[in-house]
Amino acid sequence: MAVRGCDVALDPGVLAELESIVGREHVRHREGEVAPYARDATPLFSSPPDAVVFPARTAEVAAVLRLATAHRIPVVPRGAGSNLCAGTVPLRGGILLVLTRMDRVLEVSADELLVRAEPGATTAAVAEAAAAKGLLFAPDPGSRTVSTVGGNVATCAGGLRGLKYGVTRNYVLGLEVVLPTGEVIRTGGRLWKDVAGYDLTRLLTGSEGTLGVITEVTLALLPMPATASTGVAYFPSLADAGRAVGAVLGSGVVPATLEFLDRTCIGAVEDYARLGLRTDAGALLLFGDDGEPDAVERNLTRMGELCADEGALEVTVAKEVAQSEALLAARRCSLPALSRLDTLTVLEDVTVPRPRLAEMVDRIEAVATRHDLLIGTFGHAGDGNLHPTAVIDVHDPAAAERTHAAFAEIFAAALELDGTITGEHGVGAAKLPYLRDRLGDDQMALTKRIKAAFDPAGILNPGKVGS
Amino acid sequence: MSAEVSGATDAPGAAGAASRGIFPAELLDRCISCGFCLPACPTYALSKDEKSSPRGRITLMRALETGVLDDDDPTLREESSFCLGCRACEPVCPAGVQYGELLEHWRSSQWQGRRRPPLARVLTNVVVRNWLVRRLGTFRGHARTATVAPQGPHLMLGCFERALFPGVSRAARRLRPELDCPADQGCCGALHAHNGDLELGREMARRLGEQLPGTIVTTAGGCAAHLTGVLGRDRVEEFSEYLVGRSASDGSLSVGELRVDGRRARVALQDSCHLRNGMDVWRQPRELIAAVADHVELPGAARCCGSAGTYSLLRPKDSRRVLAPKLDQIEAAGVDYVVVVNPGCQRQLVGGLRRRRSRVRVLHLTELLAAAQDGGLPRRRLRLPARPRRAQVPADEPAGLAAHLNDRPLPDDPGASGAGRPDAL
Repeated sequence: MAVRGCDVALDPGVLAELESIVGREHVRHREGEVAPYARDATPLFSSPPDAVVFPARTAEVAAVLRLATAHRIPVVPRGAGSNLCAGTVPLRGGILLVLTRMDRVLEVSADELLVRAEPGATTAAVAEAAAAKGLLFAPDPGSRTVSTVGGNVATCAGGLRGLKYGVTRNYVLGLEVVLPTGEVIRTGGRLWKDVAGYDLTRLLTGSEGTLGVITEVTLALLPMPATASTGVAYFPSLADAGRAVGAVLGSGVVPATLEFLDRTCIGAVEDYARLGLRTDAGALLLFGDDGEPDAVERNLTRMGELCADEGALEVTVAKEVAQSEALLAARRCSLPALSRLDTLTVLEDVTVPRPRLAEMVDRIEAVATRHDLLIGTFGHAGDGNLHPTAVIDVHDPAAAERTHAAFAEIFAAALELDGTITGEHGVGAAKLPYLRDRLGDDQMALTKRIKAAFDPAGILNPGKVGS
Repeated sequence: MSAEVSGATDAPGAAGAASRGIFPAELLDRCISCGFCLPACPTYALSKDEKSSPRGRITLMRALETGVLDDDDPTLREESSFCLGCRACEPVCPAGVQYGELLEHWRSSQWQGRRRPPLARVLTNVVVRNWLVRRLGTFRGHARTATVAPQGPHLMLGCFERALFPGVSRAARRLRPELDCPADQGCCGALHAHNGDLELGREMARRLGEQLPGTIVTTAGGCAAHLTGVLGRDRVEEFSEYLVGRSASDGSLSVGELRVDGRRARVALQDSCHLRNGMDVWRQPRELIAAVADHVELPGAARCCGSAGTYSLLRPKDSRRVLAPKLDQIEAAGVDYVVVVNPGCQRQLVGGLRRRRSRVRVLHLTELLAAAQDGGLPRRRLRLPARPRRAQVPADEPAGLAAHLNDRPLPDDPGASGAGRPDAL
């Protein structure tokens, strides 16, 4: 079902111009051709574009944007469509600019510790190109095999290594961006120090396709850690696990991985992946580190001891790489495993200051009980980033209403605990109604002025941040 | 979720959406649109277009189910046919979407009447007739036994396999003589289920299940998966699975060794998509190859070869586009043989490698193992006239056998060299 602010089909003259820019075979406009682009990985949001355009070069992107600005046609940039905030759903129709043809990894420079890539290259492809030269691309979003680096930068994607390594923004050195008015700018570059002017690279990172279209990224790399290992600890409750997280971080260890699953998630993952997880526990904590073998072993042992001190039911440290990988795979498939419990999965993404993690989980459980919902929570304990996930029957409109109400309360609770409404998924269309609660009136007004400075015609991803 | 769009969903059965009943709701509801299937899909790799991905096709199916798009929509028609049906999206799907079954329902709705590809109609019409299937094999000397043991195990002959590759069933029986193999058995119906006639396909599987009571052993991965879907997993064993199971229990497999140029042969496997993705059988054929030769893992062994049942006939150009990178990988791997576990793959790779004049030869797993057990080529092979191109290959080397197999005619290639000659094995 389409939800449109304005429903203007493209006129034939514009279609012909689009075809002359990118070639006839790279424009889709028939109803069936555009239907699969009505949605991304976000449930409950669907609205088809009028045309899907696949550019192959920056110049083509610029020409499309100039045309769109001249005709006031909405343009939504998109990579693989794996985001979870309805960031690439073309709410107002118009042109969906899909960048999957621009998927080359242009350069991996071992001397400079950087990689240059086109936006449509997948995160995994970039990481593999770096790994081939013994280098690590640290950001590690759960959808790395699918997601594109352009999308990662546009959403400032997080992942499982956030605590030790940071998130995508910590690795963006430079961008080539096409402004909605057609100018091509290059921000930053191959420089590790550069304070000339406003930090537009940071501003554009996480701008969710509302300020410009990213056509090339320069990303920082790190030396590949010699080894990595993971351990698992089971606790009677998430509050116990929360104390263990505090103890670990207070001890001076900054682990590469510190992830948790609640009881519901443990059960779902075990049913799905059959890893032999202990399903009677109230919480599972995955802890891991990477680096030199003896340091990794020392840190893993230390973390295991701290977990035991805080009342862990059981602590296991992976003996080999394969076992370690299997444990991390369990965390990666938490969302999909939960989704098997029913037909509609609504995933959220609140973050609170780390010491308040357990408190936040308690609040979520209370909300779930009050609204009679099944909500599993997993996430990044080291970052205070939680993913409460409601699983409901798609055929039950009342459950959808209750979910809506429940998440409104969860966002409010996160803000009360000095947290935020989204840690890493983004605002998109999904969180826009709650953005003012987080930013306040003055920041909202400033956001709109920034948006207008980049995009005077308001064509770029309308109905999202800044609109 | 936001108030302005809550309830707006493309899922059938959701508030306000009508359902046509083309797809079982529980199958169509499963997809969460995470997109994890995209990198696994060969047609998405070719097109980089969402509509040619499993997730995009499920969105199209939902649009068909809810009536947003109608049966004559050109994208629906194109995508229901462009999909290989390889089911590579299933093992990577975290939500457990049964894509293969969805596709069968899709084609059964979409490919009715004039919308059905004519060639698909002809093929399915031929093999639906038991007597015609028998006739297909009459002059090809496939394996056969006079009796039908009540509890089996029975070797399934297949429809096209018995005609195209009769040596496969003979090799299977040489390896496991206890396999009962009556000639009076029909087609399993996989062809129909995959080509727009799901009900008939299921009926044919049930009929075959009656003709061959007890365990059905098949040398065709595609048939195995279809039979499993209808008769149940406990009635069906693919040959490699059967062989590994039996030799583990009675230790009866005398494996031998296959040598080329005085060294152990280097052999790669091409997985059967439905065997691997639908039945999770992929270790066993590798284990069996490694027992008689040096197994070389192809980088894309699990990736579809583009045969995909009738696909190579219905969409020959796309089929070859899918095949091309695989042929590169096979040639780069430096192997003597590439082994298949499904007749469609065998036909596809034989044709593809022959067009490239490759030295790599294609064998069915049963043929490889039988050759190893027999210490190379059966003596009968020596009586065949050697052709000049193969003069350098000693006739008693297994390579000679494979070369011969590769030189047999294909159904779409009547003028091919070797036409009309008896099979060597």
